[in-house]
Amino acid sequence: MTRVKHSPRGLFAAAAGVVRSATPGEAGRSDRARDFEAMVNDKKGRRKGSSDAPPPDLRKERDELLQSISRGTRLTDELERLESRLRDLEAENAGLRAKVEADSAVRELLDKIDRLERDKRELLSRFHAAEAASTEVSARVQEIEAEFANLANLFVASNQLHGSLSPRGVMRRIKEVLAQLVGAERYCLYLASPDKSELVPIAFEGMSGEQVGSVAAGEGRVGEVFKSGEARVEEDKDPSLGSFEAPAAVVPLSVDEQRVGVIAIFSTLSQKKRFDTIDFELFKLLGQHAAAALVSASLFVQAERKFPGLEAFIDLSV
Amino acid sequence: MAEYSCLIVEDSPMMRQLLVFALARVKNLRVTEADDGVDGLRKLASARYDIIVTDINMPIMDGLKLVKRVRSDPVHKDTPIIIITTEGSHEDRQRALQLGANAYITKPIQAPQVIATVKELLKIE
Repeated sequence: MTRVKHSPRGLFAAAAGVVRSATPGEAGRSDRARDFEAMVNDKKGRRKGSSDAPPPDLRKERDELLQSISRGTRLTDELERLESRLRDLEAENAGLRAKVEADSAVRELLDKIDRLERDKRELLSRFHAAEAASTEVSARVQEIEAEFANLANLFVASNQLHGSLSPRGVMRRIKEVLAQLVGAERYCLYLASPDKSELVPIAFEGMSGEQVGSVAAGEGRVGEVFKSGEARVEEDKDPSLGSFEAPAAVVPLSVDEQRVGVIAIFSTLSQKKRFDTIDFELFKLLGQHAAAALVSASLFVQAERKFPGLEAFIDLSV
Repeated sequence: MAEYSCLIVEDSPMMRQLLVFALARVKNLRVTEADDGVDGLRKLASARYDIIVTDINMPIMDGLKLVKRVRSDPVHKDTPIIIITTEGSHEDRQRALQLGANAYITKPIQAPQVIATVKELLKIE
């Protein structure tokens, strides 16, 4: 019933139904035209049997109606085909629309990815810059820590050298600085004779007494350093492999710009493979302070450990 | 911030001073000094320490005896111990490690190495 109401084919079928109302209930919509024709023929036959052939006007009307119905059927078929095509197009359209929307979403996502990539690049750039700065700061901190350690070594060495007023105590401390801070294994401290012609061994470590003897000023590496006043340190050689003949380091000792002796480091501990910056600083410190500390301690002993009176310091402010 | 305590056992005043200077660079580390092993044990009996740094060669009581005594002390049996040795004293070093020392530093000591070893044993960043 519904289909008859909405479909054009249904309308024509209804028309056919009206025409063939003599046989209601007969099914088969596509054969309706033929049914109608059969019915007309049947009437015709009856008329023929009972009376004359139909008048021409009725025949014409019948033919027209038949043509009209046939045309309607064709139109209905065409309409159905178009409807089907329309549905297909609508489906296609929906698909295309969805695809376009999907493309748009993809474009948005691609834009977003671009933005995120840019952000990522910027963040990475900032991260690398921060990392570089951090590395620089770490390196600087390490340098400062090393510098601090060096200063601490120098302070402790200086503090130790001047921390005693006994010659033996000073000597012990000099040896301690050499052994503990420099890492010297075999070494000797020479002091010059009053006429500065000879260097006499005062304290030594890591060697027997026979190995160490007096050295004439200007003789050998030790004598040369005393005479020239310039330290000689083997910077390019492994100091642990030094020898008595070729000491790893020889440092002149001075008091008030007068050379009074020499410290010779013949070799260092085996783990000490080279002299560092701090060692050179320690050599300078020893050269300038060791002899002064020794002389001060000796004079203090000579003065029977009496501190000078105030008169000794008067007028020092000038 | 956690506070740590360190006991330095060293007979040489210069070495003690150097160690104190070095360990002053470690934040929140309180340092106590002892002259030798006996003095060290006395200080260990009166307070609890988080780490011990000791020389091996000392008069009265050397570092090896100290390590042995510390490891038998219920309070400090797990306390990290760093020994300071010379390169030549390989046997002493091995003996100290066998007795329970945790690490060693060879002379001449380098402050950064002392700091790094102490931090590592105390698990300080």
